[in-house]
Amino acid sequence: MTDMSKPSAASSEKQLRPGLWATVNERYPGSMIHKDDVVPLAQLKKPISECRVAFLSTSGVQPKGTLPFDTVHPVGDYSFRRVPSDADVDDLEIHQLKYPTFGADRDLNVIFPIERLRELRDEGVIGELNANHYTFIGYNMDPVELELTLAEQVAEALAHDEVDVALAAPA
Amino acid sequence: MIRGPMSLAYLKEAVENGDQAALIRYVRLHVGDGSPEAGAKEIDKAWVEALKALITMPATDQQFIDDTLKGQDHATLAHLFFRLHFYLVKHSGEWIHDGHV
Repeated sequence: MTDMSKPSAASSEKQLRPGLWATVNERYPGSMIHKDDVVPLAQLKKPISECRVAFLSTSGVQPKGTLPFDTVHPVGDYSFRRVPSDADVDDLEIHQLKYPTFGADRDLNVIFPIERLRELRDEGVIGELNANHYTFIGYNMDPVELELTLAEQVAEALAHDEVDVALAAPA
Repeated sequence: MIRGPMSLAYLKEAVENGDQAALIRYVRLHVGDGSPEAGAKEIDKAWVEALKALITMPATDQQFIDDTLKGQDHATLAHLFFRLHFYLVKHSGEWIHDGHV
């Protein structure tokens, strides 16, 4: 059995910032999710095979030609981008400073599974894809601003689009 | 509502208290991707790269610089300063960050 408590030799070689976690709690004091922050999950009102699905991602994926996410601002970027769900992966790019992108540069689906979602739609697993997916970056140092602007704006867009399922995944 | 002491509050408190050491450490952690030692080197690297660009005294657009400094607000210029830092370290050819700008 593999000892999952220890990084493999391969993963150790890929760790570009071995001291990263030594200061993470200092950089993000109090920003970890607490048990009392948990919000009850909404219940689906119809089978997922009849649902309209949108993908939410902190990956920093965005259509080429749109204003790049501001990856260097010391307090973060609270904007979002719409990524057409029928976009060709070659028309997308990543602006994100905080995670290794060598895997996603080879296959964007590892961080932004836009083609996998289309396959699920084509197979009838999900009803349909929303016209747009929504992306932003995860480096946001003001959780109140994040909640009151970015999260609200994305939520309003999802409601406007009458999305049934928002599949959210951190990068 | 999200609760608890957050990083931005920590920074604001440091500004109010004039805690320069805390602010410098934050900047070094930011530009050093979590390592204050790496951050200090990155800041030095940016300054060296800027110096190297000017050491042969090439022509520069001083009018643009003057117009920018006079025509833009303080926050925009501060924002530009961060952008220039990352521009210069990228230009140096030694990139320590996992992702890219």
